[in-house]
Amino acid sequence: MEQNKGKHQIVVLKVNGEEHPVAVKDGETLLDVLRDKLGLTGTKKGCNLGVCGACTVLVDGEPKNSCLLLAASCEGAEITTIEGVAQEAKLHPLQRAFINHGAVQCGFCTPGAILSAMALIKCNPDPSEEEIKEALSGNLCRCTGYTRIVEAVKEWKKYLKTKKTQSLPDDLRKYRTVGKSLPRVDATAKVTGQAKFTADYYFKNMLHGKVLHSPIPHGRIKKIDTRKAEALPGVKLVLKGKDVPDITYGISPARYDEHVLAKERVLHVGDEVAAVIAVDEETAEKALSLIKVEYEELPAVFNPEEALKEGAPQLHERYKNNINTHVDHHFGDIEKGFNEADHTREEEFVGNHVYQNPLEPHASIAYWENDGANLVLYSSTQVPHYVHYMIARVLDMPLGKIRIIRPPVGGGFGGKAGTTPLDLITSIASKKTGRPVKMVYSREEMFLYGRGRHKQYMKFKIGVKKDGRITAVQSKIYLDGGAYTSFGIVTAYYAGAMIPTLYHIPNYRYEGFRVMTNKPACGAMRGHGTPQPRFAFESILSMIADDLGIDPVEIRLRNAMDPDTRTCNDLDVRSCEIKATLKEVAKKSGWREKYGKLPPGKGIGIGCGGFVSGAGYAIYRGQVQRSSEKKPETFLKKSVFPHANAIVKISEDGEAAVLLIQAAEIGQGSSTVLSQMCAEALGISLHKVRIRTEDSDISPLDLGAYSSRTTLMGGNAVVQASRDVLKKLFVAASKIWNCDRKELEARDNQIFHKKDKSKRMGWAEAARKYFNEHGPLVGTGWYKPPEGLGGDYKGAAVGTSPAYSFGSSVCECSVDLETGKVRIEKFTDYHDCGTPVNPQAVHGQVEGAVVMGTGETIMEEVMYDEKGNILNPNLHDYLLMTAKDAPDIFSGIVKSYEPEGPYGAKEVGEGATLPVLAAVAHAIANATGVWIKELPITPEKILKALKKKKNS
Amino acid sequence: MILSEIRFNSPQNLAEALKLLGELKEARIVAGGTDLYVDIKQGLIEAGNIISLHKIEDLKKIEKKDKKIRIGAMVTAQEIISNSIIAQYIPSLASAARSMASYQIRSMATIGGNISSAVPSADLPPVLITAEATVELRCSGSSREVSLSEFFRGPRETICQTGELLTFIFIPFLPPNTGISYQKFALREANALAVASVASRLTLKDGIIDRAVIVLGAVAPTPVKALKTSEFLSGKEPSQGLFEDASLIAKEEGKPISDIRGSIWYRKELIPILIRRALTEALLQAQGKSRTRK
Repeated sequence: MEQNKGKHQIVVLKVNGEEHPVAVKDGETLLDVLRDKLGLTGTKKGCNLGVCGACTVLVDGEPKNSCLLLAASCEGAEITTIEGVAQEAKLHPLQRAFINHGAVQCGFCTPGAILSAMALIKCNPDPSEEEIKEALSGNLCRCTGYTRIVEAVKEWKKYLKTKKTQSLPDDLRKYRTVGKSLPRVDATAKVTGQAKFTADYYFKNMLHGKVLHSPIPHGRIKKIDTRKAEALPGVKLVLKGKDVPDITYGISPARYDEHVLAKERVLHVGDEVAAVIAVDEETAEKALSLIKVEYEELPAVFNPEEALKEGAPQLHERYKNNINTHVDHHFGDIEKGFNEADHTREEEFVGNHVYQNPLEPHASIAYWENDGANLVLYSSTQVPHYVHYMIARVLDMPLGKIRIIRPPVGGGFGGKAGTTPLDLITSIASKKTGRPVKMVYSREEMFLYGRGRHKQYMKFKIGVKKDGRITAVQSKIYLDGGAYTSFGIVTAYYAGAMIPTLYHIPNYRYEGFRVMTNKPACGAMRGHGTPQPRFAFESILSMIADDLGIDPVEIRLRNAMDPDTRTCNDLDVRSCEIKATLKEVAKKSGWREKYGKLPPGKGIGIGCGGFVSGAGYAIYRGQVQRSSEKKPETFLKKSVFPHANAIVKISEDGEAAVLLIQAAEIGQGSSTVLSQMCAEALGISLHKVRIRTEDSDISPLDLGAYSSRTTLMGGNAVVQASRDVLKKLFVAASKIWNCDRKELEARDNQIFHKKDKSKRMGWAEAARKYFNEHGPLVGTGWYKPPEGLGGDYKGAAVGTSPAYSFGSSVCECSVDLETGKVRIEKFTDYHDCGTPVNPQAVHGQVEGAVVMGTGETIMEEVMYDEKGNILNPNLHDYLLMTAKDAPDIFSGIVKSYEPEGPYGAKEVGEGATLPVLAAVAHAIANATGVWIKELPITPEKILKALKKKKNS
Repeated sequence: MILSEIRFNSPQNLAEALKLLGELKEARIVAGGTDLYVDIKQGLIEAGNIISLHKIEDLKKIEKKDKKIRIGAMVTAQEIISNSIIAQYIPSLASAARSMASYQIRSMATIGGNISSAVPSADLPPVLITAEATVELRCSGSSREVSLSEFFRGPRETICQTGELLTFIFIPFLPPNTGISYQKFALREANALAVASVASRLTLKDGIIDRAVIVLGAVAPTPVKALKTSEFLSGKEPSQGLFEDASLIAKEEGKPISDIRGSIWYRKELIPILIRRALTEALLQAQGKSRTRK
């Protein structure tokens, strides 16, 4: 190490029963020493401030946040990390319980949660549910909604005796693997700390980078003096705007408006101004403070109203009046529709700016191979292919010379759906320094980078007939976009496009404005653009039901969408069981016995929602190719290239199928459901399938984890590739047996003749025979969405999809009418996800969505001061629900079959969020008698409304 | 400030700690580190020398002595929750400790730190003040005992002087027919700071309130005693009506600020509600009808 500030001392740490003498600096945390010096990367850095619990270790049996412990103070203590939990290659019963109960999703919080649970069961082997929630309340989880984690801890003793991990009882009849709640294929790696996330990789000779962020919301950079920073020992490179390619980038090709580092102006607090690459993170951080930047501060705007005013400061020249996107959609005849209405209601709503807050911070590592000819980039991303495409653009090199590696991702929810400054800076800096460069965001930087949900200011008007049938819907929405476009064009269209999918709406008008403001850019968050308008729409529908004396469930049933319908905005709905979800949710929750009959302070509410199963069109036009080589392309109503591609390669002994697909596993379970479909289609056991998704050199293109596309699109590609393998296998076997290949079938690791029982062979044996005669047994498959999706109007592509999901949620809550405090007690949800591939995974997605959506409705919000600084850029003040806040959740799946989906399946990940906001808001209104139309619905807002009502 | 650049000192015993404290004038004392290290990491404070008390066994005990409970400054919140002396003599302190942060933080955070950090929303001081706790402040060569109610001077500011160390907390045995209740209002169920909190203590004599102490947390620069309210309650027969009246007096005794957790208006609305609830529960305890458990 070239930098040697602060004194080092040798500390002997006893970790997992082994003594490790380590040289540490006085103030080094146990977390950093475990990770950086002992290579025990199962202990995760999520917030670094003692809130998220991902860094939990046991110190003399007590759970502690290793980010707040100094290594120097741990001498003599027995430290247990996740790597020490399994003994002699045998999983601890708790680990097995986590695997089998579906308590693992992205896996980033898992090690910490397991260790907290271990501390609990050691002193209390039979904890109550309340005690479990208490013990786990310091382990934040963004994926699971806690339900299955609590259940796993409750049931841990059941796994004391079982030797092997066993699957839960079968859920389905027809298939062998599909339709069953099998444990995740990556669960063992995640409960043992073996799973390596991007920041868990360490390369020899690696450098570390940090970004200098703008401290002001809007200004011109007059001068940057980096001399002192460059002179600091250990600093290898300082990058400024002029040192990086002068090429803009972003998400939507029509509006690439971001620079790797600011060229002339900074547009929000946190905008990237410079970067330092040094021998370690601390030196880089220290060097940042030595960079002197002179700004000419410019006036700034912080909400759409200010930004749209005449004479308001302009963020980008090309977006006149700060309007980044304007949508004006009119379907049917709105005037006629409202004239036909017997009753109309118009209300205004304000959403909130929430941030995805995946537990794993963004991270990138880049290095170059072959004398600088090839780039290798590790990135914590949901969309490896779009990162690939964007890196190729900014570095102006062919995609073929770039290799993107996406290790397991610790949650995304849309926050990792774009190319980050880290991806670009590490790529550029590693080229310049000739060494691997690693960069990881702090929690605060994650907030500054942003890409959270747009805050929407919404005016909705709905007209209905006496019986509640909708005649017309009109909405006008202003979206607070932040400083860059990111996904924003699509967000603005989505805010309108998804409204007509749930109900028959004959006449519809939507006008949307996405407005630039001097705040971090907003992007795509779970349910992209739709949750807030859905909350507004559903809320008015419930109000109208009360106005007309119709039950809120009934009014929804009367308007509910039917299968095989083209919506007013030209979206083609195929399978659709929204009515079934409504009926089931009402029955299961006891709706009719409760609605309108609960005492004051108790409430019940309903909301519906749904989403696309994959966007009908890719984000960019044309072929897969460096963008500078492509001519401007007109929009064609068909996909140019396949959105999902898979290769199935059979091992030479026939005992394994290796499934190659770039589908991004971000915790949602895609690797598991894709493997299940592969096993099913091949007729072999799931344990014989190994999936490789991480490396673009190995796995073919898949567009990634956004728009809830992976099960349907990836699944179709996988099934096709698997069938391609079978076809080849059957051709070879039919020659041996002298029969028609169409008479053969594969199942239960055998291939056999459908009628002639004498013709039967082990699957592996058949594969070996194939290899002997024909060489590698490989199948390929791909999926393109159907041609011609969508209408012919501007923006018609947004909202198109091969299939749509539907769901209904009932929320039950109690409200303390004195303080306004809300307790969300129970959630009942039914989802139409087509035919589920893995019901347990579906329930896990629903439970996670319920807790995330509920938190979004009642407590989450990024807050700013009047200078554009974020007031709560940490997990202390930005409130995620804890295990103690989460409600009891019942998740049910209705019978459904989607013809376009593999084995009848469609999405659940995002759609499950959509009913939640309105269900919560309705339940609170039902409990209190006041509708709060501004999110989040905090106790203070409730109390204010109650006082106002009392006084009027 | 980069955390790893601190200089870490870990004296073996109290005498050594006090000596070091006398020598390193600018040094900061660290107990559990759950406040200090967060502040350093966030750049809120500069810290060069750190004196850690983690090796000092004398400060890790809870004992009964001379009709008092003596709690060492290094006793963690988790130890307070599970300690039998606390459970017997002042269970409300365990409730307050249970409401703190998370399992992990409670396993590190200490009573000494919770007091010395002087964060206005700290959970333990209100209950301790109602119980008339005192703290021992020691420096090399001398020591003094002061009432905890006089210990705080402002947010993160105490009467503790350079070279002084908070070593022990003394809680006198409570008289019979005494109840203490801690009511905390926070925006989530765990891992949350109080928006407002109240500790109420009632001691009854022949069914009449002999002594009432009410302490408000998170609604003033320091935990504050609601003196007028306490005075109003003394000598009266407890009833819901009385508590209602008392809570309205108390509403004016806090001096809250607006922050991201709540406005001045909201905090003022919360105070009387929490007081009424705290008094109601304290009364039940004083009458022997309930034990503080959450």
